[in-house]
Amino acid sequence: MTTYRAGGVSVARHARPGAPPPIWSTPPARPRRRHRWRRNWIAGVLSAIWLAIVILPLYMVLVTSVRTQSAYLSEGAIQPPTGLTLGNYGRTLRLGFGEFLMNSAIVAVFSIVLVGALALPAAYAITRGRSRIISGTFSMYLLGLAIPAQAVIIPIYLIVTKLHLYDSLLAIILPSTAFSLPMSIVVLTSTLRDIPNELYEAMFVDGAGPRRTFARLVVPMARPGLITIAIFSGLNAWNGIVFPLVLTQSESRRVLPLGLWNFQGQYGTDVPGLMAAVVLSALPVLALYLFGRRNLLRGLAAGFGK
Amino acid sequence: MTTSADRRQRPGLAWAAPAALFFLVFGIVPIAAVVYLSLTRWDGLGTPQWIGLNNWRALANDADALHSIRITLLLTLLCWMIQTPLSMMIGVWAAGPQRNRAILSTLFFLPLLLSTAAIALVWLALLDPNFGLAHNLGGLVGVPDGNFLGDPHRALLSVAFVITWQFVPFHTLIYQAATRQIPHTLYESAALDGAATVRQFFSVTLPQLRNTVIASSVLIVVGSLTYFESILLLTNGGPGTATRVLPLHMYIKGFVGFDMGYASVLAVLLVLIGTLLSVLIVRTTGYHRMGSQREGL
Amino acid sequence: MHRNAVFPNRARHERAGWCGVRRRVWTRRAVACLFVAALLGLTAACALFPSGIGPGGRVFQVWALQDPQNQPIIQAALDSFNKTSTTKGSLTVYLNDAYKQKLQVSMGSPNAPDIFFNWGGGNLAPYVKAGRVATLDDALSENPSVKNAFLDSVMKTARIGGHQYGLPINGIQPVILYYNKAVFAKYHQQPPRTWDDLMTLVDAFKTHGVIPLVLPGTQAWTELMYLEYLLDRVGGPGKFEAIAGGNTSAWHDPAMLRALQLCQDLAKRGGFGTNFASINYDNTGASALFAQGKAAMFLMGSWEYTNQAQRQPDFFKSGNLGFTTFPTLTDGAGNPKDIVGNPSNYFSVRAGGRNTQAATTFLIKTLKSDAYVTSLVSSGQVPAIKGVNAKFAGSPNANFLNFTYDMANKAPAFTQSWDQALSPSVASELLTNLQKLFLSDITPQQFVDAMEKAQ
Repeated sequence: MTTYRAGGVSVARHARPGAPPPIWSTPPARPRRRHRWRRNWIAGVLSAIWLAIVILPLYMVLVTSVRTQSAYLSEGAIQPPTGLTLGNYGRTLRLGFGEFLMNSAIVAVFSIVLVGALALPAAYAITRGRSRIISGTFSMYLLGLAIPAQAVIIPIYLIVTKLHLYDSLLAIILPSTAFSLPMSIVVLTSTLRDIPNELYEAMFVDGAGPRRTFARLVVPMARPGLITIAIFSGLNAWNGIVFPLVLTQSESRRVLPLGLWNFQGQYGTDVPGLMAAVVLSALPVLALYLFGRRNLLRGLAAGFGK
Repeated sequence: MTTSADRRQRPGLAWAAPAALFFLVFGIVPIAAVVYLSLTRWDGLGTPQWIGLNNWRALANDADALHSIRITLLLTLLCWMIQTPLSMMIGVWAAGPQRNRAILSTLFFLPLLLSTAAIALVWLALLDPNFGLAHNLGGLVGVPDGNFLGDPHRALLSVAFVITWQFVPFHTLIYQAATRQIPHTLYESAALDGAATVRQFFSVTLPQLRNTVIASSVLIVVGSLTYFESILLLTNGGPGTATRVLPLHMYIKGFVGFDMGYASVLAVLLVLIGTLLSVLIVRTTGYHRMGSQREGL
Repeated sequence: MHRNAVFPNRARHERAGWCGVRRRVWTRRAVACLFVAALLGLTAACALFPSGIGPGGRVFQVWALQDPQNQPIIQAALDSFNKTSTTKGSLTVYLNDAYKQKLQVSMGSPNAPDIFFNWGGGNLAPYVKAGRVATLDDALSENPSVKNAFLDSVMKTARIGGHQYGLPINGIQPVILYYNKAVFAKYHQQPPRTWDDLMTLVDAFKTHGVIPLVLPGTQAWTELMYLEYLLDRVGGPGKFEAIAGGNTSAWHDPAMLRALQLCQDLAKRGGFGTNFASINYDNTGASALFAQGKAAMFLMGSWEYTNQAQRQPDFFKSGNLGFTTFPTLTDGAGNPKDIVGNPSNYFSVRAGGRNTQAATTFLIKTLKSDAYVTSLVSSGQVPAIKGVNAKFAGSPNANFLNFTYDMANKAPAFTQSWDQALSPSVASELLTNLQKLFLSDITPQQFVDAMEKAQ
């Protein structure tokens, strides 16, 4: 029987009897082989082409963001810029970018936390509970997988107004959370289903009730799935435009996607300014990714790979 | 056998209740409201008037709706067919331990940083037939005048391309992580049996990625069904109705045409199709049984 | 092997992960996370909660379109009004498509704005029909100077059922044929007087590799301008009035069929180039093409003048921006002086709100005030005020302003853009079918059949 301790993530993950640890967590202790991973030329070439396709638009965004507007219009998108300027970034920051960024961050963080707090107990109940009502809720979430936001925006608007939440960030957070719930619960149930019965029985034998089982067993083992749904619901909240548009109004509650508007006039877009705003809005997510990359990959592995 | 002691150990209703209630309020009630609205005539301003199944009957006569459904399914199929092999191949390749692959996979991740609106606007500028990439590179793909968004067929392909550009990074990440999870012992045994690289891919990697493919596919299908912001910004359903997917048709009918009753019909239709497709995928592939691919290891 | 106390199973090369720091990784990361969390927590306190906008506010809300020209003018007007009024006004702006959706969702709720921007005609009608808009008749009869200040042809568009529901807030926007003088000079051509002239020009420019008429075809309202003018030239303004009045069989009028055929022929002839259906107006793709001389002519609303001034300053300063009227049809029944376009944009007041009185007062006081009108003129617009041409003298844009003013003043008929005049659902059908027509996907007969069915 394997022991486990709170926070001892690595041990718990290897708890499946007989399963070897995933390849990336152990260094190669045996003599080096020449080809650990087979060389895949086809995929290599494809990746090179795809890299070009990915990089070119991003290059264009960067390069345009440091051009002046007239230079953009005369030189086009591709040519290396002649005169560089940081004026677009200045304009972006002056137009309230910092506030939009903060609002978007708040919406994303609160959505992620709320989704996690709601979905994990529900997934735990669905995988381990014995009540038919609980299994019924799972079908309810399956129904909710494919709801388009525009379809239900008016009823949601009416509900939000009735709750006196109009023009607040909560008005965005609550529906976004609700829309991320179905997928999150589906992912988490799949993660939790992989926890072997023996571990639950071990907790049972120790006299643990559902609360202790949840805290000591479920939460640590669900970490990979939690990371997956954090990314999923975080991206939804960060990107969403329908809820913020309809449910908020004042500039102080405006989020980043709406903030991009400041560069779109009724009769023409300030393309370089728009590009500067796009770059600035991407930086926080980039920073997060660079810091959390290893955890990200580790988390996703167990979320989907099994 | 469940003893009463066992029952006390299992999570009760209180565990499932918060999420269920929350989703009830912000998910189910709005759907119910939309179903109700589909049976009324409403311009969004006054009070809805009950007209029974008239809107649903109008659906049968709406050639545009049928066209939209066709376009939506076509786009979904196109997206799936392009994104799945592409993400898989790049993900598998990126899962290798070479150092440059780590740097490159960071680069591949970059499109995920941009919001949908940003991506649509960037590509709108790039696809400008006179000033964008379409002008410079159009000749390479047989379109010398850069006319991508203006041709009905090319517009749909362009839209599929932009969606691919946006979402392949996400799916690549999933496949990459899943591939790194595959135990090396499987590859070693295959090599011992004399399998070459390609054969190893098909007999080891692919089966191990089965659950990943299913999960990723469900995400693609459901995502394509409800995806419309980019299309709104890129083509607004045009030229004509060449790229008017069902969500966009619903938006135009409801918010541009002020016919919320009929738009609700389309919304209900969308939900039904989406649920049907996801359930279909999940059932036929046995995903719901959650079998493990590592049985016996 | 050195054992890391915190993560016993991490491989050595993995421990040096974050910032390359080996020890105390966990503590530093935790501190950073706490810091970020605290920061978010502090700021979250405010924005999470409702801002107080709504029925309880003592501030009246003005909603308008995002527009670098008009926004500052409206804001300045509000600022000066707020100085002397107990009830203050506040402006929020939105982008075009988003605005319409937002307005529709909000108008039925307590969060509706007190003053909202609209295009009059069929754009305003649904709200009037639902009883959401206040009439301005009383306020206008108490202030006859305001009532008589505006051009009647412009006031008419916001008059529904005999009551005045909106007041014009910016310039008259007729559709004008712009031409690039430099390109014309280079190929020794003259701006067209008649439709036949135009056809000759199209052929001439094509041989020189210049796009005769730039058309941002991804946005169908730009194609509509051609149809609007052609129908008027062929059959006079009555043809569209019949349609707008609700006579659905009026779509089948031979004048309409001929106008549609002329549009399609122009497209087929290469009058717009081959890639017009991919060009976008909003991202300045069309304006730049015109300014750089790759296209010779541009049929667009009067706002394009100031647009060129702002976005294509080099071209604008060179003085090569020419403007003229739409060509005439020698065998047409319409008056060559007729024009089409947007009479103006309007502000309407919401009915039943708390701040209706203050909002109406703001409109009455501001819209014909000297300060407001002068700022409109300086931005290159022609306000819909009688006799405003007196203010043009001395303006650098006097030529254009006088031209536009005369165009509008002397026009026997000023037809509103069809996509604003018709009901929104018919308008959206119209635009979709128009795109198909210009691409030769449907015939004029199929077009009118579809439109009759839609209406």
